[in-house]
Amino acid sequence: MGVVSLLDKRILKVAVVGSGKMGLLHASIINIMQNSNLVAICDKSVLVRKFLKKGLKGIRIVDDVKKFSDFDLDAVYVTTPIPSHFSVVKAIYSGKICQNIFVEKTLSACYAEAKELYDLSKSFPGINMVGYVRRFSVTFRKAKDLLDKGAIGKPTSFEAYAFSSDLLGIDETSKAPLNRGGVLKDLGSHAVDVALWFFGDLNVSTDETPLSDGVVLSDFLRFGVENQNGLEGKFEISWRVKNYRTPEIGFSIIGTKGKLRVNDDKIELKLKGKSSLTMHRHDLHDNAQFWLGGPEYFREDEHFVKSVLQNVGTESDFLNALKVDEILDILSQRDDENV
Amino acid sequence: MTKMSKQLQKRQVLLVGDNPFHGISHLSQERNRVRGSESTLPERAADLIITSFKNGANGFMFSVSETTLSILKGICGRRQNHPLELYAILPYAYEYVRLANQVGGIPGLAKMIIKRVVFSRNLRAFAKGLKGIASTDPKSLIESYLYYELSRINSSIDRSVSLRSVLLHQLVTDIALALDMEWLFKLHIDLMSKKAIIPGFNTGNYVYLVEKLRKWNIDLAKLVIAAPFNKAGFQMMPNKAECEQTLKDAKERNLIAISVLGAGYLDPLEAFAYLSTLPNLKGVAVGVSKDAHARQTFRLLAKKLTY
Repeated sequence: MGVVSLLDKRILKVAVVGSGKMGLLHASIINIMQNSNLVAICDKSVLVRKFLKKGLKGIRIVDDVKKFSDFDLDAVYVTTPIPSHFSVVKAIYSGKICQNIFVEKTLSACYAEAKELYDLSKSFPGINMVGYVRRFSVTFRKAKDLLDKGAIGKPTSFEAYAFSSDLLGIDETSKAPLNRGGVLKDLGSHAVDVALWFFGDLNVSTDETPLSDGVVLSDFLRFGVENQNGLEGKFEISWRVKNYRTPEIGFSIIGTKGKLRVNDDKIELKLKGKSSLTMHRHDLHDNAQFWLGGPEYFREDEHFVKSVLQNVGTESDFLNALKVDEILDILSQRDDENV
Repeated sequence: MTKMSKQLQKRQVLLVGDNPFHGISHLSQERNRVRGSESTLPERAADLIITSFKNGANGFMFSVSETTLSILKGICGRRQNHPLELYAILPYAYEYVRLANQVGGIPGLAKMIIKRVVFSRNLRAFAKGLKGIASTDPKSLIESYLYYELSRINSSIDRSVSLRSVLLHQLVTDIALALDMEWLFKLHIDLMSKKAIIPGFNTGNYVYLVEKLRKWNIDLAKLVIAAPFNKAGFQMMPNKAECEQTLKDAKERNLIAISVLGAGYLDPLEAFAYLSTLPNLKGVAVGVSKDAHARQTFRLLAKKLTY
């Protein structure tokens, strides 16, 4: 079965760092695509490595990313917890292991580190990408297309949310979520990235995160943004919201000619004086050659592989991701000041 | 052809699906929030299943979770003479992904599962698990896990109920498929066959799965596959036409169509009319969230899908 229909017959040799859920997801998709092969996985856990060695045939399992240098790799996926992205990506570049790098979002744990990685990437001619998967979702792509075509006129304001029930009912003192970078990086980063993609550069204008006994609630954020054209936006982010079985990102955008609502499932367009139009995933050709986690993950990896093969920039490169980290950093610093 | 595969070829199954009981709508989460949580109550879910049985359903397809096991306990004593065949899907991936998020990833999750196996007091599961850890053998660990889940199901049903099939969840099937883990497919098939349970695979990649199983010389007549088939082509990868062609070319009648209403996008009449045109369909699974839905859905299905 031909999975990626590229004229290019080259097959990329790809490795993955980290074998958590995102590592396994990307490893699987890479291995299924016609133009890429999974050749190695790096994981720091001895036990995990032993199981992987016995469970996966023909794939090299290593304990240190430096050992990837033996494999003449065309691309590396970094899917470790966010706090380790900086050291792993730096090791890949500095060790001249590979010049084409995909990093699961966010690019790094803070803006300073992200900036250093971005600067480092400029010294290499390879392709880079950060895994902001909503850019490959059919609903958000359709919304982007409608906004670019001026369907609702000039956007004047928006409200965005990023909600999940992941930690609903879980002890608030649990440290485990910190591995995922906290709610802002884990979930909020997607909403911020989509906003930057839709509207261009944004500045944080207000932080309305509610306080509890004078302390910032670490699992709930509310803040405002604006741009130079007078656009104003509000965000609400939490992973303790009831009835969000899977994480959901959504936008409600007001423009001079109408209103657009979009989330992971559907898009609604309401133009002034006209009846509203709703499109679900079903209406938007939501197919992919292989379905794992959602068709958008395949499209995301396919985009990266094609970009590497054709040596063209990606939809969501380190520079775009750096802008996300800049906004997240401003919000994190405000939180720290309030604690 | 073995007795089991002959039996499999003959049977027609109309299954109640469990998505509404877990609060799932693949059309939109918003729809589910509007729908409310009534159908997620085990007693209410059991009522809906009983109503479905009275109107033509003959089985229940479910992910193995505390919710569905409670539902099973609720329906076992109330089903009277209605046939009840169970099609269990495991693991309940959503629960495990959520747990992984809460306990710090896959290592934390693995520890939690091991604890559960130990405290289940299932000796076979415990022994296999111990062997799996001691020898870092993934096969033993998976066997241990499967025994553990089987013991959970069996402790929730009475002897008159038939656990017809155990299917590997879509996430596991499709990762194993993509990573060429032939051994995992064969392990599941061997283990279930030994227990006179039909092995099955839930997949989002029907075309690719069938192609691979044939390549690995796995007898498709001895298993069931649950995969999306609907008039809208929703979740049919890589596309509707290729899925239909693969089904048409199949020599075995082993497909249980899921997502047949396109997650509520399609009208039942047009959805079931489409299903009636599909060759080699073994059965369907459909979720219901209201009594009226249960009656209408299974009456219509029984009428449209008479082989």
